[in-house]
Amino acid sequence: MSIDKEKMIQMFATMTRIRQFETKLQEFFAAGKIPGFVHLYIGEEAVATGACATLRDQDYITSTHRGHGHLIAKGGDLKRMMAEIFGKRTGYCKGKGGSMHIADVELGILGANGIVGGGGPIANGAALASKYRGNDRVVVCFFGDGASNQGTTQEALNLASAWRLPVVFVNENNGYGISCPTCKSMAVADIADRAAAYDIPGVVVDGNDVTAVYEAVGEAVKRARTGDGPSLIECKTYRWRGHFEGDACVYRDDCELEDWVKKDPIPRFEKKLQAEGILSVEKAEAIRKAIAAELDAAIAFAEQSPLPEASEILEDVYA
Amino acid sequence: MSTVGIIANPVSGKDIRRLVAHGSVFDNQEKVRIVRRMLMGLAQVGVRRVVYMPDYYAIVERAGRGCQASVDATAINMHMENSQDDSTRAASLMADGGATCLIVLGGDGTCRAVAKGTTRVPLLPISTGTNNVFPWMVEASIAGLAAGLIATGRVPADEGTYRSSCLEVLFDDVVRDIALVDVAVYRDTFIASRAIWDLEKVSQIFMTRCRPDSIGLSAIGGQLRTILPEQHAGLHLCLGGDHRRVTAAIAPGLFQSVPVKSEVLMQVGEMIAVADSPCVLALDGEREVEVGRGGRVLIRLSESGPQVVDVRRTMDCAQKLGVFVHL
Repeated sequence: MSIDKEKMIQMFATMTRIRQFETKLQEFFAAGKIPGFVHLYIGEEAVATGACATLRDQDYITSTHRGHGHLIAKGGDLKRMMAEIFGKRTGYCKGKGGSMHIADVELGILGANGIVGGGGPIANGAALASKYRGNDRVVVCFFGDGASNQGTTQEALNLASAWRLPVVFVNENNGYGISCPTCKSMAVADIADRAAAYDIPGVVVDGNDVTAVYEAVGEAVKRARTGDGPSLIECKTYRWRGHFEGDACVYRDDCELEDWVKKDPIPRFEKKLQAEGILSVEKAEAIRKAIAAELDAAIAFAEQSPLPEASEILEDVYA
Repeated sequence: MSTVGIIANPVSGKDIRRLVAHGSVFDNQEKVRIVRRMLMGLAQVGVRRVVYMPDYYAIVERAGRGCQASVDATAINMHMENSQDDSTRAASLMADGGATCLIVLGGDGTCRAVAKGTTRVPLLPISTGTNNVFPWMVEASIAGLAAGLIATGRVPADEGTYRSSCLEVLFDDVVRDIALVDVAVYRDTFIASRAIWDLEKVSQIFMTRCRPDSIGLSAIGGQLRTILPEQHAGLHLCLGGDHRRVTAAIAPGLFQSVPVKSEVLMQVGEMIAVADSPCVLALDGEREVEVGRGGRVLIRLSESGPQVVDVRRTMDCAQKLGVFVHL
């Protein structure tokens, strides 16, 4: 695995940034400070981090309803994200979109998406544009296990293969579509098995190992960039929180969560970096503190920003 | 009553070698069909009891639902961690529970995990993995017959099986792990996606068997020597140098030209040091064991690998004994 030390430290910082961001949102939601729903990414940080670390700035991602991690990993601005989630005018969507509609086209973030399975067709569109324009931009399409059962996702896989589009479909199989376990909603257990139907490579990786995700997605990105078409990488992972904040999670056992907490991707990576002499204990602590300060600034920015005026309600409406 | 154990790995055949090479796709439904045919074979030779490792796809339950094999199949009682340790613990529990033959569906990695659990019980490995050097590429109906013949004693074990070798990995003179086919010294510090396809980082390969028609890392040695599975000998290659290169299929559809500095035969009990540290040791093609800076690691050839059911020899013996001939 060829990955320089600086990038490994960046990946540790990105996972930490996502974890701290989501943990703050959890607190704010419980305190009633956030309007609308939030779907937290805690436990799945290695997937977004490992996948986005393989991309160039010009590459694209499509995201999901559980999108904060993807956006942060692709370089999303914490202040504008936080402001949007708080419903403030300084947010990415001027406070009118909320958590599930954050996009930053300049950064290649083609949007979080409240529609389950909505990302595939958008990813294909961006990939087709890349191919048509003759640039070598690649699209990573994040989607969940629930989305893998949607027609849009299967149609997107089919068309991406038929047109050899530069898309890497990164599946985050966290075991549940809302409250329904995959064993009750899927005829197969491994989403990667479905790749064979579209004549594309399908691979299963440990989604809680950021290096495994990086390596597999990196190979798929290389393949896409050189014109060899799409791939499907299934990352086995787990969401620690409910489907949404407020979900009582009565559909799963506590011991299942406990098993996955033991596989927490962040301390696992931190321990390895320390063992290899790449990251000292002091440096790790300094990174955590710096991110906490960054988040405090984002929260202050969000809290101090104005709400949109009622008169703006019809602005930016396109259809 | 003879009991046969079944360990079907639901994860085999899905790793990154589908992306970096052209590994076959073994979806779990195909594994179900293999087990189904195997159960019919087992029933045919009088096996009435099967115990199996539970798995998230319920391979054996699904197989049982789709055929009329008169076999009582019971899941063993174990906590699943969804890791390769499940296969190790399942094998150990089955051996302790009196199974007289184990059938394994997987590749080299799965067979290794099972062998870590037991080498007491004869093993019939069926290939559903990526690099399949240890397991047989065999029709499951016939594998079911062969396993049943050994399990019931209708073919004596010494006629239909052979004792394989293995490589022991010793840290400070204590065995930490084993490999059934090969150990590669990989100059990196991360296990990551496990498979090996970048041979530039491999400095040494140890192997228990090699043939010119083999696949995987042992295929490199196979272009220089032949060591049959039942032979108790090994081969140690040092890679590098510029006086000769060996072209071999190191993964399905992936050929590489590899510089080989030296090859030395290994005798049983012989130990050779791992020359690099830090490094990662790939066991049977998968990065498994991390070796820290300054770590002292030895690789030893052992003749105490699993006892393997040889399908052809078993069926030949059955023919001689007239097992399937009725007057």
